[in-house]
Amino acid sequence: MPCSISVKLVAAESLYKRDVFRSPDPFAVLTIDGYQTKSTTAAKKTLNPYWNETFKFKDVNENSILTVQVFDQKKFKKKDQGFLGVINIKITDVLNLDSNDTYNSNEETITRDLKKSNDNMAVSGRLIVVLSKVPNSTSSATTSNTRTTSRSSRARSSASNATVGATANRTGSSAGGSAATAATNNSTTAANGNNNITTSTSRNTTTPASASNEASNTESNSANNNTTHQLSSFEDQYGRLPPGWERRTDNFGRTYYVDHNTRTTTWKRPTFDQTENTANSLQNTELERIQHRGRTLPESSSASASNSNQDITVNTNNNSQTPAINGSAAAALAATGATTSGLGELPSGWEQRFTPEGRAYFVDHNTRTTTWVDPRRQQYIRTYGPTNTTIQQQPVSQLGPLPSGWEMRLTNTARVYFVDHNTKTTTWDDPRLPSSLDQNVPQYKRDFRRKVIYFRSQPALRILPGQCHIKVRRKNIFEDAYQEIMRQTPEDLKKRLMIKFDGEEGLDYGGVSREFFFLLSHEMFNPFYCLFEYSAHDNYTIQINPNSAINPEHLNYFKFIGRVVGLGVFHRRFLDAFFVGALYKMILRKKVILQDMEGVDAEVHNSLKWMLENDIEGILDLTFSADDERFGELVTIDLKPDGRNIEVTNENKKEYIELYTQWKIYDRVQEQFKAFMDGFNELIPEDLVTVFDERELELLIGGIAEIDVEDWKKHTDYRGYQESDEVIQWFWKCITEWDNEQRARLLQFTTGTSRIPVNGFKDLQGSDGPRRFTIEKAGESNQLPKSHTCFNRVDLPPYDVYDSLKQKLTLAVEETIGFGQE
Amino acid sequence: MSSLKRITKELNDLGRDPPTSCSAGPVGDDIYHWQASIMGPPDSPYAGGVFFLSIHFPTDYPFKPPKISFTTKIYHPNINANGNICLDILKDQWSPALTISKVLLSICSLLTDANPDDPLVPEIAHLYKTDRPKYEATAKEWTKKYAV
Repeated sequence: MPCSISVKLVAAESLYKRDVFRSPDPFAVLTIDGYQTKSTTAAKKTLNPYWNETFKFKDVNENSILTVQVFDQKKFKKKDQGFLGVINIKITDVLNLDSNDTYNSNEETITRDLKKSNDNMAVSGRLIVVLSKVPNSTSSATTSNTRTTSRSSRARSSASNATVGATANRTGSSAGGSAATAATNNSTTAANGNNNITTSTSRNTTTPASASNEASNTESNSANNNTTHQLSSFEDQYGRLPPGWERRTDNFGRTYYVDHNTRTTTWKRPTFDQTENTANSLQNTELERIQHRGRTLPESSSASASNSNQDITVNTNNNSQTPAINGSAAAALAATGATTSGLGELPSGWEQRFTPEGRAYFVDHNTRTTTWVDPRRQQYIRTYGPTNTTIQQQPVSQLGPLPSGWEMRLTNTARVYFVDHNTKTTTWDDPRLPSSLDQNVPQYKRDFRRKVIYFRSQPALRILPGQCHIKVRRKNIFEDAYQEIMRQTPEDLKKRLMIKFDGEEGLDYGGVSREFFFLLSHEMFNPFYCLFEYSAHDNYTIQINPNSAINPEHLNYFKFIGRVVGLGVFHRRFLDAFFVGALYKMILRKKVILQDMEGVDAEVHNSLKWMLENDIEGILDLTFSADDERFGELVTIDLKPDGRNIEVTNENKKEYIELYTQWKIYDRVQEQFKAFMDGFNELIPEDLVTVFDERELELLIGGIAEIDVEDWKKHTDYRGYQESDEVIQWFWKCITEWDNEQRARLLQFTTGTSRIPVNGFKDLQGSDGPRRFTIEKAGESNQLPKSHTCFNRVDLPPYDVYDSLKQKLTLAVEETIGFGQE
Repeated sequence: MSSLKRITKELNDLGRDPPTSCSAGPVGDDIYHWQASIMGPPDSPYAGGVFFLSIHFPTDYPFKPPKISFTTKIYHPNINANGNICLDILKDQWSPALTISKVLLSICSLLTDANPDDPLVPEIAHLYKTDRPKYEATAKEWTKKYAV
């Protein structure tokens, strides 16, 4: 005798993880005998979805089979529909349908393993289902679950038609499947999945399941009838949605919400609080973005204070304006960039023409070149020798024409700059004088800038002709970038970068690719992916995760990340990521030493340092081995052959500390690091990057941020000093006078990284939680300041005069690397 | 296994020469997880109470300090409701020369002499500094309630 049953789909657990980077949005489709179909809502990003939804099915008989299929909602439109598994339950195996006990609902909870379909795609996990017989008295009341009803009633107005169609469609497709096995069922649904409403409706009329179709249609209709007034898509029965949100209905008739602020969707109705939270986190991202955009390298700082020290100054053709020469500037280039017409006749072979905009330009038929510069204006290049005494003057014409595709222009401050139309880039440096800036006696202050100029002038770092197109979806930036960047050859990647975000207008003249590197660095270094992890030292410098092999593809990803870092350096884009100092050293092929441990693990660093300074015999019982925990399992690693049987003594402890440090920082991530370097060196040759030291490399990769001295000062603690003390006043005076590069270097010196927390100095972290920047009175006035990066502290001796403080601080910051240098 | 050797050695030392007023040993088969007990010092409001602590050794012990927390509730400016202890030698002042025995003795003396200037629970520290009798009364009450 047919009766009704109630099926509660509680949850699924341990679903198969088909994508490395994201979890599915699983939903389940329940079908009885192929014609009564219900579906759950989609759970978000989980392998253990919890639905806890109850559905009622009528006309269940002793041969009825319940089929539950799980799909990934995100992939439902794909060929395999994001299939995650299926179970088939013969109802009479679980419930006794003949029982007339109407008072006992005869509830049964069953757990079944998910099975594969015919496609043989791997599945895993199990479903938890509660089946019960619905007492006969209620079986005729309603055929549908309450959830659907309420959902339909919420989906009103324009959506209502879609609701009817969608419900019909769903029923129609499963009707086509009839009482077949799950596998057939699955493929049938796949075939019907894209049917439009008309076909599926017409199909309905031919199926034996018309009764249930009618039922569900009536249900939807009655829901529609309840609607007394039409609601716009920006409101529902609970009132208006928060600003920027819209209510929509999917092709299953389910209501979902679109957040146009974040370009995200959700099943949950947004509340105003939520919006505020999102807005807050968005604000943070925006703040970071602004910080990131402000990052520069000294070579590109045009409006900063360091301008007065630029090596290039402009001179007019009659030399009436003397180039500003300061002590350190040794090479100055004077060239006119005047674009107004001169007097007299043009030299032979020259012709003056006008652009459509009416701007004059000059054609040199001798060399078949064009220029904006009037050849009648005499131009001189002045080169000052290292000693500033020899001045060579030569007309610009003797340098020959600019390389093809280059143009010389003037800024509104009459400073000459050069435009490379091949790559759509600009530079202060005359491309004909690549080495004129290198004749100087190196002075540290300008060293990084000089190194960058030299580095950029190397042929291996020239942008190749052509374009490199990379198109990504904003929401899938990691995966898409991986595909796009790995499919191209390193040579392709050296062409002018043209980044495009899917569905967004805008040509990449720098802004788009800056945004790309900003967003991508947040993704690929996110510890969530287990490729990188935060160091134990603080919560924003990152290091390679030694356990990254949990992702079997990890080495390919490290190669990709290496390429991206190289790509950023090559195309002068900054990554919003800061590594532990040791990683920069490793990139430079430098040996890691004990002091590098401080940034990796301050506790281990302190213990190793203690070992070095104290008698360990009888206290530490060590051998030349290390214990490594790999997913809960302890493994002993020999630090040298048969190390586990060699005692560490006062005599050989130094070797032990070296080996242990090397193991802890380098050996454990050797494979990953090698893959990273393979990718990096495809764009940046190893021997070129080694001109930088590890701190400069950090600046090269991450850029120099604009540093707010007032905020820094406001969140500084003093030990042994008062804020009003003269030395402290001098300290801040010195910082204020410095440019951003020097400030960044002071930060590296005292905190281990040039990174500033998003919310400013108040959020500065130390090795043991929040640690504000601290200045401690320590040392003698003839000593250099010292730093303790774990505690963000600088030991500042009480200097007698300002000049002494400035000189000592500059020296400490620029010349010393690492902890406790004196 | 360096850490294993070291922990075993400490366990043997504790058995041979047990410190007064505390005890410690592994909970089960896992030598990295111990339980310890401390008798409330006689000259403190914790007198008469027995306080239990849980000890977890990291795999790089003794390069890193053990993680120690009270499992018995205690009213103290440097110990919070979760049993976490604010003690410098368990943090940045840790040294590989320290042992569980020495750490437990330090915790004993923390019970006698709290450090209200570096508090984990500011309210208790405030009371400790401003109304010592009331602090002692509450501490005694908690001891009676949870540790006897």
